Parts: sequence; structure tokens; C-alpha cells
Amino acid sequence: MTTARTLHAQLHLLDRQVVRAEDGRMICKVDDLELTTDEQGRPYVLAILAGPLALGPRIGGVVGRLVVGVTELFRPEEDPGPQRIPMITVSEIGSAVTVGGDVQEAALEHWVRVNVIAPLPGSGVETAAGERRPARRGDLTGRLRMSDLIGRRVVDDSGALVGQVADVRLSQDGPMLGEVQHAFRVAGLIVVPRHTGQLFGYERGPAGQAPALVAAVVRRLHRNSRYVTWEQVDVIADDVRLAVPTAELAPLAGLHRSMSR
Amino acid sequence: MKKVFAVTLGILTAIGGFVDIGDLVANSLVGARFGMSLAWVVVVGVVGICLFAEMSGRIAAVSQRPVFDLVRERLGPRAGLVNLGASFGINLLTLAAEIGGAALALELATGVNYLLWVPAVGLTAWLVMWRVRFSTMEKVFGLAGLALVAFAVALWQLDPDVGELTRQLTSPPPDEPVPTYWYYAIALLGAAMTPYEVFFFSSGGVEERWTRKDLVTARANVFVGFPLGGFLSLVIAACAATLFLPAQVQVDTLGQMVLPAGLALGKIGLAAVIFGVFAATFGATLETALSSGYTLSQYFGWQWGKYVRPKDAARFHASVLVAVIVATALILTTVDPIKVTEYSLVFSAAALPLTYLPVLMIANDPDYMGDKVNGRFSNFLGTAYMILLVVAAVAAIPLMIATKAGQ
Repeated sequence: MTTARTLHAQLHLLDRQVVRAEDGRMICKVDDLELTTDEQGRPYVLAILAGPLALGPRIGGVVGRLVVGVTELFRPEEDPGPQRIPMITVSEIGSAVTVGGDVQEAALEHWVRVNVIAPLPGSGVETAAGERRPARRGDLTGRLRMSDLIGRRVVDDSGALVGQVADVRLSQDGPMLGEVQHAFRVAGLIVVPRHTGQLFGYERGPAGQAPALVAAVVRRLHRNSRYVTWEQVDVIADDVRLAVPTAELAPLAGLHRSMSR
Repeated sequence: MKKVFAVTLGILTAIGGFVDIGDLVANSLVGARFGMSLAWVVVVGVVGICLFAEMSGRIAAVSQRPVFDLVRERLGPRAGLVNLGASFGINLLTLAAEIGGAALALELATGVNYLLWVPAVGLTAWLVMWRVRFSTMEKVFGLAGLALVAFAVALWQLDPDVGELTRQLTSPPPDEPVPTYWYYAIALLGAAMTPYEVFFFSSGGVEERWTRKDLVTARANVFVGFPLGGFLSLVIAACAATLFLPAQVQVDTLGQMVLPAGLALGKIGLAAVIFGVFAATFGATLETALSSGYTLSQYFGWQWGKYVRPKDAARFHASVLVAVIVATALILTTVDPIKVTEYSLVFSAAALPLTYLPVLMIANDPDYMGDKVNGRFSNFLGTAYMILLVVAAVAAIPLMIATKAGQ
């Protein structure tokens, strides 16, 4: 399993553009990821979540609540959920995330096209105003989201605070999705000591080193960061509780040596 | 010939960034008050915008990702939203000012009050963005803005005292307080490096469907367009320094600003310059209006761009339309367009690091760039500029308050 592709959720997946495979059209952003657990209780990525109901909670605060509140107000179903794009349709993860198949267009795009763009001369829209978009069922699964995991406090076996989750390392060796690809399974957590923000990819070692001053500042802010393998995690509750003492955790600096890319 | 036209994106971007209405007036105003003593800031600004526009153009060519994609991807949704708010606000203010500026140029040409021209300018700009192809748009308005070269001819005809202008390069006028000098330095830097230039330039690269093969085109655009814009703004400042500084005239209208060309070249010069001002401000109108659509769409992941039909990018075209309507309404309140840009320039200086830091990071990320990552030279300069931009961003608002916006 050493050849499995390794990604960092925050760095490589979250907030990337999602494009359609057939014509490169832009669909949405990876606003969040939905996780579920395999038989051993280890989380793996099931779907990309998109739209205001996924983005709002990540923005947080008054603005985030407003985004969610306004969206829920205009959605007809009782418990609307964000748009889900199953990971099985993802064909490539690069500077954008490419998905195959037909993804239903966003409700706002449809509304704007029918009510704002179509009436303008020369818009090339043939459909008459009042055209209905098939309603999408809200898929409110209540499953764990990646953004719930990132930022969570981490405590060791004695209950002492280790820090908080800054990124989640995924490796493509989870359960089979469909017939050809494995799911991205949580391999470990990158834990930073304080509220020091993102690592911006500078945890990857030599590959992400330049420019030297920026790298030095980011690394200095995140000194004493640690890498927790999934085997060292005891249980994910309000905090992530580890099964080992802090002293046994590997420092983050050694991580890049095990990166597959 | 095709090669010549390939650099029009850079020219349009640079003219919109360097010699739009705010800079036209700021350059004349600064030239009349400080002589050439702030010319170094324009040079620093040209080098900075070349550096970061080159990076963003290279990223767009290699990975097809425009700048605001990178902002959201590296900074995350929260800091990205702060940047979106700041950039969108600045964009809207600048758009309002550009519409006003184009209308003022029409007033100079026709004598009809500019407020009557404002709705016509707004409507025409929207029609161009709605119907005209991107490549046609950048060629027509990029090249038309070159009429401003008339200022260079005017400067030559005015026969300036070169020794005096050179002396001014290093000696600011003694009667101006130091904070005011630095306030204008930051405003000029903000003007040269306004974020909408890289938003527009990199999105334009994607619209033109640049690939790895077009890296040379991308570089040519940067190294022809931006120095040309910087040159024009220096020439305008030199004209003002020659004509207005000795007479102690304060420049604060567009009418005064075009005067050097009229004095030196007569009616034809005046006509060329007014045409150039109109083309530059109208080009900047397009640049800022499209940029407001680009930033919003790229933050939320909507389909954007003029390379698809409007019905396939409905939210993008709707945002452009709403931006034009709001900006037109804002300028119809008879708010002074020139004052509007002066403030927006300083605010834009405060938002600069949030835009350029992600560009610098991604330009070093081999996942995006493969073997086209930054070299040592780009990284050295890029780091130096990041420090400079952070200093300017921190100092911008306090200096604005301390100097009462440069009075």
C-alpha cells in the first residue's frame, strides 16, 4: 500500500475549482468534503459538498450564519442540504478537480438565467421564462464533514492539550468506490500547537520551500507542529482524543520524507 | 502582424491600471505639487506589477487558474471573503470613477455636461461586454488608448528644462510636509499595483486560452504593456511639472490635465489627448466591470468568462450588469469621480498583500507549475516586494488620516 496517492485535504482538495470533464465548464468549488467510516471505524471521503450550505459553516460567524439562513429560506424542502458530488465521479485532482457525468446546475444559476439573462436581447436563451428546474432533494446525511475535523482540539491520553487539527492527510487506499478506484481514507492528522492558521503547503518539505523568507515565517509560526497517525487516535468526540502521550508523536518536519509525490 | 496584436491584452490592462482616470489626475496633481520627486515610485510600481503580473500570467498559462481562484484556494474561505469584499468594493468605486472619467472626456469634447453622458457610457460599456468578443475588445480599446502618446509629443514640444526635471528626481519640494509626500507615494504605488490589473490580466489569459505554449506571449504582454503604461504616467507627470509647478497651479480637473497637450500641440494635440483619455477610461471601465464579475465568480466557483455564451455564464454576466448599474447610479449622485478614485487607491494599497501573497506562493508550488516554478531572481524580488507591500498596507490608512487625505 506504499504506492497509494497521498493528499492533504486542506491543501489539495478544499477550495479548489470543480470542472466538468467533458467540456471543462466550471461547476462549483470544493466547499467541503463529506466523510463516512469504513468497517474499522476509519473515516474516508465519500463526496464533495458544494453550495452555500457547505460554504456558510466554513465562513462561520454572522456572515456564515446569514449565508446558511438565507439559503434555507429560499429552499422549498424542510431540511435542505448542500449539493453532493460523489467522489466516485472524480476523475482527476490537479489544479482543478475534474468530475465526470452530469452534475445538476446550481439553483441560483438557473434562476438568474431564466429571470435575468433570458429577457435581455441577444442572450441566446430559447427557453421561456417560468421554465422549472427539477427540484433537488436535500441530502441531509448528518455525516461528518471535513471542516468539522479541521480546527478541532487534540488532547493526548492524559487529557493534556496537544493543539488543533490544521490539515488531514488522506491516502487513496480506502474501500473501493465503484469498480476502479479506492476512496481517500484518513491517514493522519497534522496538529499545530496554537491558532496559527494554515500551513500553506510549507509542511511538505523541499517541494514547498521557496521563497525562503515566507517558508521561514510560516514554519516559525508552526514550530512544534506534530503529525498524528490514525493508529494513534483513540476516539473523535468533542475533542480528538489520542491513545498515546504527546511525547510519542512525530514532529511534522519529518513528514515530507514519507510523501509519495 | 498577429504577433503585434498578441500584446494588446497587456496594453489594455496596463492602460486601465496606469493611465485610468485616477492616475491621469493623480499624476498631474503629483507632478504639479512634487515635480518629478515621486517618479521613483512609478518605477518601483512598474517593476512590482511586472513581477506579479508575470507570475499570474504564467500560472494562468500553465494551470488555467486565474488569480482569485488562487486567493480562495490558498487563503481559505474566510480570508478569501475579506479580500473579496475589499477588492469588490475598490473595483466598484473605480468602475464608478472610470464611467465618470469617460463622461468627463466627452464633456471636454462636446461641452455637454458629463452627467448627461454617464448613462450613455454605462450602457455602451455594458453592450460591449455583452456582445463584443474578448479579443476584439482588447485590440480596439488597448490600441485606442495609445493616443495618449500625444503627451510624450507634447512634452517634447514644451521643451522642458531637463536639468531642472533631473534635479527634482532626488529633491522633494521643501514646503510639502513629509507625511504628505509619503501619502502620495503610497497612493501612486497603490495605483500602479492595483489588484484588478492582475485579476483582469490572468482572467484574460484564461479567456484567450493560453497554454504552456503561450508563455512567451504572456511575458511579452507583461514586459511591453506595463512599462508602456508606466512611461505614459511619467510623461504626464513631467508635463505637469514643466507647466504647472513653476506657476504653483493646483491640478484638480481633467480640463487642466489635458492643457499641456493643447498648449504644445494646438487643437490636434488636444483632440488626440481627449480621445486618448476617453479610450483609456473606457478601457478601464471594461477592465474594472469585468473584474468585479471575475472576482465574484472565481470566489464562488461559478462559470465565468466571455469565452462561453452568456446563457452558460448567467451569474457572471448578471454580476457585471449589476456592477455597471450600481456604479452608474453612484456617479449620477454627482459625487466627484476624481475624489472617489483618490480614496479607492489608498484602500487598494491596504488590500495588496492579500492578493499578491497567494500568487507568490502558487508560483512556487510544483503541483501547479511543474518545472515552471519561480526562479531565484523572481523569488528574491517577490519577497522584497511582499515586505514593501506589507509596510505600505500598514501605513496607508494611518497616513490618510494624519494627512487628511493629502491636503
